[in-house]
Amino acid sequence: MNEGAVITELPWLYAGLGAYALATFLSFKALARDGAAAATLSRTHEPFVLGLSAAGVLLLAVALAERWLRIGHGPFVNLFELLVSQLFSLGLVYTVVYWRLPVLRPTAVVVFPAIWILGVWVLLLDPAGAPYPPTYHNKWLWAHVGFGKFFLAFCLVGSGLAGIILLRGSRLLASLFRHMPADSILDTVAWRFMLLALVFDSLMLVAGAVWAQDAWGRYWAWDALETSAFLNWLLLGASIHARATYRISMRVTSILIVVIFVFAFLTYFGTPFYSEAAHKGVI
Amino acid sequence: MMKRLRQLASLRLTLVGMGLLGVGAALSYDNPVGTPVWVLVVPLALLSVNLFAAILSNPHINRRGGLLLFHVGLLLIVVLAAVGRLTRMEGRIELTEGSAFAVEDLTEVRQGPWHAGALDRVEFVQGPYTVDYTVGMARGPTRSKVMIPAGQGDWERRTVGDDTPLVLEGYRFYTTFNKGFAPILTWLPDHGAPVTGSVHMPPYPLFEHRQANRWTPAGADEIRVWLQIEAGMNPEADWRLDPANTPGVLVVRAAGDRRVELRPGESLRLDGGTLRYERLSSWMGYKLYYDPTLHWLFIASMIAIFGLAAHFWRKFGAVQAYAAAQEAAKNKPSDEMGGRAA
Repeated sequence: MNEGAVITELPWLYAGLGAYALATFLSFKALARDGAAAATLSRTHEPFVLGLSAAGVLLLAVALAERWLRIGHGPFVNLFELLVSQLFSLGLVYTVVYWRLPVLRPTAVVVFPAIWILGVWVLLLDPAGAPYPPTYHNKWLWAHVGFGKFFLAFCLVGSGLAGIILLRGSRLLASLFRHMPADSILDTVAWRFMLLALVFDSLMLVAGAVWAQDAWGRYWAWDALETSAFLNWLLLGASIHARATYRISMRVTSILIVVIFVFAFLTYFGTPFYSEAAHKGVI
Repeated sequence: MMKRLRQLASLRLTLVGMGLLGVGAALSYDNPVGTPVWVLVVPLALLSVNLFAAILSNPHINRRGGLLLFHVGLLLIVVLAAVGRLTRMEGRIELTEGSAFAVEDLTEVRQGPWHAGALDRVEFVQGPYTVDYTVGMARGPTRSKVMIPAGQGDWERRTVGDDTPLVLEGYRFYTTFNKGFAPILTWLPDHGAPVTGSVHMPPYPLFEHRQANRWTPAGADEIRVWLQIEAGMNPEADWRLDPANTPGVLVVRAAGDRRVELRPGESLRLDGGTLRYERLSSWMGYKLYYDPTLHWLFIASMIAIFGLAAHFWRKFGAVQAYAAAQEAAKNKPSDEMGGRAA
């Protein structure tokens, strides 16, 4: 890569983050108004949040395309590009959910701040490109990463719903979400999203195993990322079984969902601290 | 009998098994070699028994097509993974350009007790290879040419490398970063028949500054050789390692500790005979992997995921219907939605 190359994707990234920032601000502002005013006012902000969120997704898509053209490969190697693509995919899935399931829209006050952890993080990273490993020229990599992004996005939506249940536990905040469905409904819907997350988590693990067999001559080797991903899958499966076996309060199951999301988040973005490149040592 | 099955199928036992498997996986975290295998085998065996009993006795599973497929798929994965461990084979081999694969050259061989493949039927001949490098010595694509007998004296040429292994009789040969140069030498003894062999120099470019090795032809003293090569290596730019087009000078230690440079075709008189440097060749290191269950594992995984997706599809339909009802209700100004269940 040219040392003096112009980082053409940055303006698009900043614009995308700006759109997400406005969507986040409006979500909180509308929630505050809802808390004090009648429920009929609650939807005036939603088209703007939806539009800004969609604009953010489009701008980040342009940022990814610009970067692809600049460095010659997709966003699969270093943390900067992984975070940008994750900001895009989380935003895309959540925007679709926001659009198609209006009753879940107040979850924006939980989901957007979670997305912003990545948004702030990406601003602290060097946007320089990294060499594309020869084993990454494999279509199963696309499947593996793509399924993983859907998995994390559905975990995020589930966490948004679980977050509402947990926030409602506070007397101060309970009234803000009074126009949302009852906790039992939110809990059911949240676990449906977690079941959907389990489907994509399983697909991600299988696609990753096929890629690993092609790339490194073994489908599973208990490396740091594989083990974390498997533990995440196991925790999700065990939580679904525990919920079916015991009478667990919705507060506890909500905490479980948040723990699963945090675990998934750490698997994707914490493991790089432990191992700078995904599957370090086998690239 | 059914009571015993139901006990074995207990969801509490499932959670215990999952917990133990989680502990086993955590112990294996980034250290699978140093962790005893039973930390994974015991919980997996427990979960398999539990799962098998649940499939037979739990109506929540065996009367729901999606969940039944999912759990059968999971059980198949565990069984196939176990069979794979018992029948697999792994190993490594270094092949000189122009030489044929030979089972006896395999090293670091590990195989399961039930391994019964047809490795003796595997035939191929190593050809030349190239490896691209980018700025900073980042390894790019490897292209290794091999020739496979195609019958009636014909040869089929294939190019393998990186994520494209050579697959013969179910055995998968993967190129590795382990590759280098191999001078071809002939020892012409004063008495006896000449001997030709290759000397595999240390991996290149990893050990670019240590291209030295020893060769001991049958009936002769050890010969120490060094290699001076002009491979065009440049950490500051893109370059290609192309051993077939790389000139190399062989340095041989002769009597009196003097060092003599030899170019291809040149000879050197040593004690007991003459050493001739024929040409500079190359060697490629392969990783061998054999597991007859690979395709079946993929099929079992797909069955499991298809079952889970089918189960989910049935469940999520209810959520969509609920969301639509909520939306319709919310559009009515007089409705009070606050904190009320549907």
